[in-house]
Amino acid sequence: MTGKTARLIFWLGTLSSAAIFLWQTYDFHKQTPKFTHTDKLTEQVVAGKKVWHKYNCNDCHTILGFGGYYAPDMTKAFYRLGENNIASIVQHPEVMYKNSFRKMPQLGVTETETKQLVTFLRWVGDIENRHWPPQDEKFVEAYKLRESQPQKLDKVHLILQACGGCHTFENQGRNVGGDLTAIANRITYDRQTLINYMINPQSVRPGVAMPPQDVSPQTAGIIADFILSLKSTKEVSK
Amino acid sequence: MLIEYQSQRVSLWYFRLALVLFILQVILGLWLSINYAFTLPQELVNVFPFSTARALHTNLLVAWMLLGFMGGTYYILPPECSRDLFSEKIAYLQLIIFVGAAVTAVVGFLFGWTQGKPLLEIPLPLDWVIVVAALMFIANVAMTIIKAEVRTALQWMLLGGVTFLALMYLFGMPFYQNLNTDYYYWWWVIHLWVEGAWEVVTASIVAYIIMRVTGVDRKVVEKWLYVETGLFLFTGIVGTGHHYYWIGAPDYWIWWGGIFSALEPLPIVLMVVDTWMHVRERKNPIVNPLTWYYIIGLAIYHLVGAGLWGFMHTLPPINYYTHGSQVTVSHGHLAFFGAYALLNLTIFYFAMPRLKGINKYDDQLGKWGFWITTIGMFILGLVFGIAGILQTYLERFLDIGYSTAHLTMMFWFRVAFGVGLVFLAGVVITVYHLFTIRPSNLPAPEPVVAPAADI
Repeated sequence: MTGKTARLIFWLGTLSSAAIFLWQTYDFHKQTPKFTHTDKLTEQVVAGKKVWHKYNCNDCHTILGFGGYYAPDMTKAFYRLGENNIASIVQHPEVMYKNSFRKMPQLGVTETETKQLVTFLRWVGDIENRHWPPQDEKFVEAYKLRESQPQKLDKVHLILQACGGCHTFENQGRNVGGDLTAIANRITYDRQTLINYMINPQSVRPGVAMPPQDVSPQTAGIIADFILSLKSTKEVSK
Repeated sequence: MLIEYQSQRVSLWYFRLALVLFILQVILGLWLSINYAFTLPQELVNVFPFSTARALHTNLLVAWMLLGFMGGTYYILPPECSRDLFSEKIAYLQLIIFVGAAVTAVVGFLFGWTQGKPLLEIPLPLDWVIVVAALMFIANVAMTIIKAEVRTALQWMLLGGVTFLALMYLFGMPFYQNLNTDYYYWWWVIHLWVEGAWEVVTASIVAYIIMRVTGVDRKVVEKWLYVETGLFLFTGIVGTGHHYYWIGAPDYWIWWGGIFSALEPLPIVLMVVDTWMHVRERKNPIVNPLTWYYIIGLAIYHLVGAGLWGFMHTLPPINYYTHGSQVTVSHGHLAFFGAYALLNLTIFYFAMPRLKGINKYDDQLGKWGFWITTIGMFILGLVFGIAGILQTYLERFLDIGYSTAHLTMMFWFRVAFGVGLVFLAGVVITVYHLFTIRPSNLPAPEPVVAPAADI
């Protein structure tokens, strides 16, 4: 090979690749509004993104799979955790992770910031990114089903979505309020009391730490049936 | 004297600082592994969270890499241009500005002053300070080349590489409203650095060192350099697409990103082949075996860590499961160490003895350092890899939650901590050896041909 051929390879390789890449970049910008729903990219979402940066969340959590691998991915966190859970975790990590082997720092995120962050994560969750991460797809489906047809929902997913923020079930969920199977075997409530307990815990057991749950009586009924089924048979119909 | 130009001396301070940062980076890395392997008290996590330690770990990495590249450039530029640097004052001033910005950034991180973007946490005002330092550096390099009377391909390749490097940094600075656009350009910095600009700088510096120590003809070396950098950029630029599979971008990225990224090991294979051939066809005897360990080690490790690991990890059907897991951690460590940490150490082992007027140095201790660090990091990469495959399997196949998966991986995090300790020992040995390098008692073989720059 002559020096001239070598130089030709260099310029051809570099320039052709750069040309393709620049065209792709142009196309990326043209298509991004469709993939990320920029019409829903409100000021509140942008404010939430600034909160995300301000507390350096991304150096422990991945988002779109990028960042620190020390804590779960946040791309579909809105669907996995729901608004209330995100708020409790962000504001009281020392309580939520009291029993956890891994801690999240108490960052002092204000209530306004938390709301903005949730809005941001909700918008991120809707980015059409080929259903990544794979493990969170069930939460996205469950969320959408819960909104439209709760009766058709896979029970385990429903329970984990609603209760998994504080309770564990078969090694899933967060162990703050105890394991659902253990609770089922401990409690003596009937179905209606359990529903009342979920909607307003204080009315059944004054002084209990569990916060009121924002669930419809119908959904609470499904959850109650599920928990009571753990007690009677110790078998789970998935 | 073994250096031809007095101004080459400026590089010594770059090397020294880089080595100190290297040790700090590894210590922070150990701290991160403690975070993974053990439960820390909430009070400690509140004041010094993982995120801050990770920001320090990665920024120290980038800082010592850049210091090594800049120092290396300043070291090889004068003989390559047959004249002294345009300005030694600029070189020192630029170093002071750069280090000043770095120290401010570190203190800032500890108090939560951050831009909150992984690897690019440095806040905007400090970014501008770094831009100033980078401009001074490029101006100094460019002026040295322009004022030189000889023209070589290597000069332009180096200048092109560092300019490309600095230019890409700009894309990481603005605030992007859209997260996916944010990450689109984040990779213009990270990817186009490590699989673009840094490769060009690496290839140039390695070409220079090989030419100097083997006495192989300049024309041959430069030909290889053109072909390699051409292939690096051809595969690397469009290869950026392997980061765009899951960010919410058009489907064609899967194909363009996947195929170009699969070709990325090619130039690295070429680099291994040409290093090997030049060693075999060397005209000069081997004076310092350890420097050669590093040159060959760099080529092979580069191929394994960046090439092989990167190849497997970026195939779209695999990446769907391994993306954003400990597999990425494994690849990141092997690639950065194999391609760039070893490059910097090659430069240091080439230049530092010469700067001290030592032809043949005593390399007993350095050999220990070499073997401990290279084997240590390889095992560390394997351990992260095992943890990553476990994580992928547990989380993404068995559908077990993140925390439970991590509890199962705990054993491997503890092994990683242990291996990390050994690695740190290797790094301390290497750095100590470089700082206290002294002449060997054995006689050095006489060179057969004059250094290539004089040809």
